[in-house]
Amino acid sequence: MSLDLLFGATSIVPDAIDGLAAAALRHQRFTRYGLLDRGSYEIAEGVAVPPASIAHAAAATGRTLRVIASRVLRLSAGDYVLAHHDPLRDDNPVELVLDLSAVAVPDADVWYRRRGQPFFRVPSAPGSLAIVERGPTVTSNHAYVSRQRPDAVVVRLIALLG
Amino acid sequence: MHWHLGDEAALARAWRAATPFPHVVIDDLAADPEALLAVLEEEHVDRYEGDLFVFEASAPEPRSEELRAVRASFASALAPVLARVTGRSLGRADMRAYAYRVGHYLLPHTDHREGLGRVLAYAYYLPSPTPPNGGELELFRCTVDGGAITAVEPACVIEPRANRLVVFEVGDASLHQVREVLAGLRISLAGWFYP
Repeated sequence: MSLDLLFGATSIVPDAIDGLAAAALRHQRFTRYGLLDRGSYEIAEGVAVPPASIAHAAAATGRTLRVIASRVLRLSAGDYVLAHHDPLRDDNPVELVLDLSAVAVPDADVWYRRRGQPFFRVPSAPGSLAIVERGPTVTSNHAYVSRQRPDAVVVRLIALLG
Repeated sequence: MHWHLGDEAALARAWRAATPFPHVVIDDLAADPEALLAVLEEEHVDRYEGDLFVFEASAPEPRSEELRAVRASFASALAPVLARVTGRSLGRADMRAYAYRVGHYLLPHTDHREGLGRVLAYAYYLPSPTPPNGGELELFRCTVDGGAITAVEPACVIEPRANRLVVFEVGDASLHQVREVLAGLRISLAGWFYP
């Protein structure tokens, strides 16, 4: 059995954060990332992770977890994050994707890939919490947000736990 | 098939003067672009989707004898001229048909891959029954340090006009994208020239 399969738990918890708390977390001091061969998005780093989200992840994985890193990404129409912008990690962390968006944006998914092949899709669903136990060949990408919805905004808190 | 490349000296000047990296735009390339479009009626396309792109394309090797003939004609007519224009040694070219429908795109990338031997990239736009809104080819100016891109800025937008050929040099700074198609259909033949 490969390490990928030993570390591969995934789940999605709906309604993991209420609307008011999500709205508060949406308001960050963002800076734009513009190396377009890797991604186009706004980022705020070092954001506090709601304890309830960490508790969900601990319960889902059976591991004792603490926050290694956290950031909030804001993607507007035309934005994206490519998979090769997400570094491989060999410490098998648990990654959280807490959807802070005000409204769902069709097709604005997060895709987790193992050796480049998709194995887990996180759809845009405000309030939801995705939990992914990353193996050593796992990367993720945030799908391109279509310009057909010029007002679309996706906001996600991404946290690495270990 | 007959291809009109125009004045070689003018193309060479345009190539050398082009920014953000060497490229050239040639309008009215084919004598009969509608005939080229008809060739594609028998060529099957599949949907391709990844983190970088969503589009429909034919197989890397054309299935129909007609498209293989177009590829051979295109390469034999253009490679010698483009070799003189660009100063690069060129031999064969590959060719796939692409259909970008509403919502399709190809995000910024360079085409450069060690060992693949891509010298020049090209895209030739065919007449569309519903000409696209969007689908432009956008070129970016990059700062490269140690093989990695460290700064990017938009530099040039080329409309996918019917019967237009765009050729550009492939390198670690040849960052480009196909903007999302917002309406209509963008049909093209595209690929690379190799030594």
